[in-house]
Amino acid sequence: MHIVDGALSNAVVLGGGIAAAGGIAMGLRSLDIDRIPTAGVLSASFFVASLIHVPIGPSSVHLILNGLAGLLLGWAAFPALFVGLLLQAVFFGFGGLTVLGINTLNIALPAMLAWLIFGRLIGRGTPGQGALWGGLGGGFAIAGTTAMVALSLALSGDAFLPAAKLVFFAHLPVMVIEALLAGFAVLLARKVKPELFTRNAIA
Amino acid sequence: MTLLDLRDIRFAYPGHPPVLDGASLRLAPGQRLSLTGPNGSGKSTLLRIIMGLQAPDSGTITAFGTSRSKEADFHELRRRVGLVFQDPDDQLFCPTVAEDIAFGPLNLGRSRDEALAIVDKVLDDLDLMHLKGRITHKLSGGEKRLVTLAAVLAMEPEALLLDEPTNALDTKNEARLLEILCALPQAILLVSHAPSFRAALAPEALELRDGRLVPV
Amino acid sequence: MAHALGHREATLSEAGDSDRAGIIGALDPRLRIVMACLFGTVTVALTSLPALCAALATALLLLAASRLPPVPTLKRMAMMDGFILFMLVLLPFSVPGPPIVTIWGLTASWAGLWQAVEIALTANAVILALMVLVGTLEPVTLGHALHRLRCPETLVHLLMFTIRYIEVLREEYLRLRGAMKVRGFRPGSNWHTYRSFGYLVGMMLVRAIERSERILGAMKCRGFSGRLLLMQDFALTRRDRVVGAAMTALCLGLLLLDTL
Repeated sequence: MHIVDGALSNAVVLGGGIAAAGGIAMGLRSLDIDRIPTAGVLSASFFVASLIHVPIGPSSVHLILNGLAGLLLGWAAFPALFVGLLLQAVFFGFGGLTVLGINTLNIALPAMLAWLIFGRLIGRGTPGQGALWGGLGGGFAIAGTTAMVALSLALSGDAFLPAAKLVFFAHLPVMVIEALLAGFAVLLARKVKPELFTRNAIA
Repeated sequence: MTLLDLRDIRFAYPGHPPVLDGASLRLAPGQRLSLTGPNGSGKSTLLRIIMGLQAPDSGTITAFGTSRSKEADFHELRRRVGLVFQDPDDQLFCPTVAEDIAFGPLNLGRSRDEALAIVDKVLDDLDLMHLKGRITHKLSGGEKRLVTLAAVLAMEPEALLLDEPTNALDTKNEARLLEILCALPQAILLVSHAPSFRAALAPEALELRDGRLVPV
Repeated sequence: MAHALGHREATLSEAGDSDRAGIIGALDPRLRIVMACLFGTVTVALTSLPALCAALATALLLLAASRLPPVPTLKRMAMMDGFILFMLVLLPFSVPGPPIVTIWGLTASWAGLWQAVEIALTANAVILALMVLVGTLEPVTLGHALHRLRCPETLVHLLMFTIRYIEVLREEYLRLRGAMKVRGFRPGSNWHTYRSFGYLVGMMLVRAIERSERILGAMKCRGFSGRLLLMQDFALTRRDRVVGAAMTALCLGLLLLDTL
């Protein structure tokens, strides 16, 4: 769901860049030096998790898991996801350079919001209840990202409206899958390492 | 003087039976001591407790004649006792070999130039100069192990704690490691499942059985 | 990104091989980053077809000068095109203007076609230049160079930790996947698959956090005092200055061509 260079209007690219820089700065402020290893290793694991192909009907999707990233990292999801996008663009030619800011914003803002809304809930109650909130958080984040990608396109010109709508509706099944996976991931984490979510993320 | 003196250490992970239940241990300067015991018997936990990474439920830790209980007490201990971790990937976190070896000396307050001089000396001593500029995550398993040892030796510790140092080493690298370790002046506390390695480096052994250390 | 990577390919370790980087490999990494950003910004600002074609030609020339294997690199670039294809195909039908052709009652316009071509040229030129100029760097060197370019230190450390552990975690992932496979796991569109993948992801995250705890423990054992140092230095050579000036002139030339 990365946007490429040249597709968006200057205002959207610039605005996205500034907002992303603000989010990254907030995230870096929340990371004192002995939390950097955790944020770095998590950022690497989200990079690796995006390699997983999950079948969906006749096709397959790769995971984004920004919801889980947000739930575990809070504001630090901004710099962590930015690092992932930077490495993807530079070494795999995925996404773009001038759109790094807007792409970061589109992925990290919903992740951070998922943490604000669902972060405290996933550590409470039974593991099953935590998993339910985790799943909702995962689905919420990916829906937010899709909506923001569609909005970025729509704001760049009426000509992109059909593409924007297509992006959103094509990703509906992805939202369901990401929600399911996030839910089961939280379920497992709550069972094998219950203290993980009670410490209230690392941010 | 005793380097390390552990008395009656007890430790249990929350919700589990105790892994250490009155373990005691003394390590003298230059002494070579092995710890044996089945998987999960608490050998690594004991090493983590010595380094102050985990606090025992009860018992005393005395190092270099000083009792250690609070986090601040362990700062000085960590300068004088080096722990080589079981998984080199946990220990080598810096981008390059030189930066990783310099990490310890820099923490001890050495200047950048002094740290670099130490890097050169340690690599030269271990005959690893060719690895200096290498990227840590691209080293082979054997190279990683030797670099983790170099990184700990760069801090000039008086005692070395080794947690399964021969894990995933081939026979050639194992022989190389043994040769290096045997030539070191430091006291060594070795945790290893390899009987031949234990016999060659530290024949004197304690077994961790039911949470206690008993001579073998 | 997953699509850009075969199952056997390593993630980052094969990315930068300085021995084969040719003329570009000899340049100061900082200069390569700055040039990629300059070229990217200029190309995004271009609007005329000749200027955009010239920009793509420049990127292709850089590729030729880099000794990167051209076919796999262009394949990676094409992979990105696959993703934006649907948007590009839709554009001629959604931009009003003089019609080219009508399909099923939908009219494709020349204006929309040009806009689609513009986007395709821009996106490809920028990403190709980025991969050639910066993607040929050793990932660790990229971190060092960003540090010297005054990127916030915390961000650089975060980048370095990420680069350091991607390969370790990927091996862990492949081991877990292998263990699933040998017990007969075959992914399909079903509940069992989604639950298993969810557990896989959860297990990876738990292990990652536990690993980061061990890393922090190892750092403390070596007297970690809240400081991390990055030691690699770079120096601009005369040749760097010449190439830098030439690239800047070229970018100005592109802008000039655009106004003609």
